[in-house]
Amino acid sequence: MSHYHLDRRDVEFVLFEQLQLEKLLNLPKYSEYSKEIFDMVLGEAQKIAMDVLAPMNEPADKEGCRLEDGQVKIPKIFHDAYEKYKAGGWVAPHAKVEWGGQGMPVSLYLAATEFFVGACTSFLFYPGLTASAAHVVELFGSDLVKKNYVEKMYSGDWTGTMCLTEAGAGSAVGDLLTSATPNDDGTYNVVGTKIFISAGDHDMAENIGHLVLARVKGDPAGIKGISLFLVPKIWVKDDGSLGEANDVTIPSIEHKMGINACSTCVINFGDEGKCRGYLIGKRMKGIVAMFHMMNEARIVTGAQGMALGNAAYQSALLYAKERVQGTDISNMKDADAPRVTIDKHPDVKRMLATMKAYSEGLRALILKSAYLLDMSESIDDPVEAARLRGVLELLTPICKAYCTDKGFKVTELAIQTYGGYGYIREYPVEQYMRDVKIASLYEGTNGIQAMDLLGRKLPMKNGMVFMNFLGVIGDFIDANKAHPVLGGAVLLLEKAKNKLGEVSYGFAMSGQSDPDYPMLHAVNFLEMMGNVVVGHLLIEGGIIAAGKLPDAKEGSSDAVYYSNKVKTAQFFATNILPGNDALAAAIVSKDRSALEIEF
Amino acid sequence: MKILTTVRRVPDLDARFSLNGDKTEIDTEALDHKVNYFDEVAVEEAIRLKEKGVADEIVSVCIGSGNATKELRTALAMGADRAILVEADEKTLDPYLVAAILAKLVEKEQPDLIIMGKLGVDFENTQVPQLLAGMLGWPQATFAYSTEICDSKVTVGREVDGGTSTFRLPLPAIVTADLRLNEPRFPSLPGIMKAKRKPLDTMTIEDLGVALEPRVKTVRFEMPPEREAGVIVADVAELIQKLRDEVKAI
Repeated sequence: MSHYHLDRRDVEFVLFEQLQLEKLLNLPKYSEYSKEIFDMVLGEAQKIAMDVLAPMNEPADKEGCRLEDGQVKIPKIFHDAYEKYKAGGWVAPHAKVEWGGQGMPVSLYLAATEFFVGACTSFLFYPGLTASAAHVVELFGSDLVKKNYVEKMYSGDWTGTMCLTEAGAGSAVGDLLTSATPNDDGTYNVVGTKIFISAGDHDMAENIGHLVLARVKGDPAGIKGISLFLVPKIWVKDDGSLGEANDVTIPSIEHKMGINACSTCVINFGDEGKCRGYLIGKRMKGIVAMFHMMNEARIVTGAQGMALGNAAYQSALLYAKERVQGTDISNMKDADAPRVTIDKHPDVKRMLATMKAYSEGLRALILKSAYLLDMSESIDDPVEAARLRGVLELLTPICKAYCTDKGFKVTELAIQTYGGYGYIREYPVEQYMRDVKIASLYEGTNGIQAMDLLGRKLPMKNGMVFMNFLGVIGDFIDANKAHPVLGGAVLLLEKAKNKLGEVSYGFAMSGQSDPDYPMLHAVNFLEMMGNVVVGHLLIEGGIIAAGKLPDAKEGSSDAVYYSNKVKTAQFFATNILPGNDALAAAIVSKDRSALEIEF
Repeated sequence: MKILTTVRRVPDLDARFSLNGDKTEIDTEALDHKVNYFDEVAVEEAIRLKEKGVADEIVSVCIGSGNATKELRTALAMGADRAILVEADEKTLDPYLVAAILAKLVEKEQPDLIIMGKLGVDFENTQVPQLLAGMLGWPQATFAYSTEICDSKVTVGREVDGGTSTFRLPLPAIVTADLRLNEPRFPSLPGIMKAKRKPLDTMTIEDLGVALEPRVKTVRFEMPPEREAGVIVADVAELIQKLRDEVKAI
């Protein structure tokens, strides 16, 4: 039996009943699409996930990657799967048709990506990073570079990477040492060593386009002097044909806790001084181009947390419904009482409900963010588009950090639900936990995300983006306070939201005099905001479900689904949202002990 | 050469089934549906024959509810050229009626070859292709694991009990696909987008002049009995005794 079980019903609920994805069909950009195509895409994604990707998850994790004679070998089974994945057009279906994509809504692409990541996380790095890198080349590359690389990468014939990190420049990317020197032909000579490069090398495609951050010799120190370069593994001649190896070498690969079948490489550029690259975008504006990629990648990273959380929840749920242990709590003293499956035990129910609420809430957050991206890029009204972009920028650090932290928490709860069996390799949940942990570290650690939220996103437009966002939730609260079933949950959301507002106001007031203090609590603040955002989405979903419940046939799977959806919203409101009170209490305490302990 | 393939819409067999109140029907409404796997194999074989240059047109046919356009689009996305949906309430059909409808359609379409799944994975009747061949007076080769077309004849490798056999049939003919005939491709995303623009005609049974007179009457369905708990036997002797006296298995 497959390790992977997906919840198509909830994906469809979020896409079609909550977000109403069909609205996109009215926009010219998506005129080629239809609800039937959306359904077929999800169906095919499910098939690829279950039939092609899921069977590789465990064996690929065991096999891992090897470095042989300077060439990284990834699990053999990936090669055949990659051909099928490519042939299906899945590397970049959201890319423009003119570049070989299908112009697919990102919301639909990310729904499909959930299935793929849940089925085999390690595999997805190769096509996923390729699509992101190709997008940067498409947006910022010169005509020649675009002509020679974009389609090759979107199709998956070549893959791509993003090379930011160096041994001395991780979160502080401005400290990088990789250098570039202009050549007479317009290219640059690139010299330096990058580390932690995901999908950095493999034997699955004939070429790799590395996006490398470097400083042109003489340009200013720090982040402002950084430029972005496209450095191919094999040099591509101007006519598009492959030339010689480009002096890009792999001295070693990392041995990691998880994502073992994703090659994580140290890459040396220009060991022999013969490594050439193209400038992408303007000189000293590398970070602008890179942020474009990072913003997209941050939502996809959030989706990784969401997908693995969901995979872990589904596994734990299935296990809890089958595993017989102990008697019903009401029969505890009767040694002969019938044994029950563990999903009947209240403590297990607590874990299942917590996992369900986070899993579904994270899914709604990721798909909603993708939907905002789709809308902002395809509607005519520039004012509304700018507003949607603002909301998306505000939500991006939450997508990234909240979804990966809570996704990790769900995998941990899944192991707890399994008991000791969850800790052993016979069951899939320990791998989910190992595979998801990386997501809180790369693409900017979750601490960096919290600082981004507090330092960069809250002050956007003098705080108006944030205030307007709270206003939208406030309108939702006002409209639904008297809801017959979830009115109480709405009031709890109001309380949590008001606390969030108070705390952010306090930060704005105190930040000037004591800049350390807000940053001490940035992570707590992000958690508060994540709770409100996800609480809002779950309650909104619960109210939609409550409205559909009377029309669902009694006892049908739909009736059960809707009823559970309502209760999930109630559970989150009652059990998670009050956590904002505790977080707020810590934040407003002005307690500086963590800053004062001598470490 | 024109190839007709059939595409049956069947419930996802992994789904949990339930019966209606008087147990005369399986409640399929809430179930996910997909293309009958053997029909996917049949469509794939037709596409491969087209890719080899042997066939020029592939028409896929489904008899079923309006929802079955999704399954036909799947066939079109894989590479069929056009599709026909004969609208009918699937619950009113039986194999004879389905064969009769297809016979009329064959008259209209005049295919040179019909490739069908060897059976529908839901009821496993394994009757329609055989009935259809009888009605049309065409030769048939069932359970194919290979096909080859040469000089207006199709050579079919067949899986039979205890081995294989090879038939050579003059065209037009009917071939039914077994598992090992091929591995059906996944419809690609470009294929799905193209499928939208391919013709999909809809007609009714009446349009074809077939009378809706089923010959099979469903009396009742029963769910399989719940499996009872096992017993632990003390030793092999007791096991043998139980198998002999209680289960009467030996």
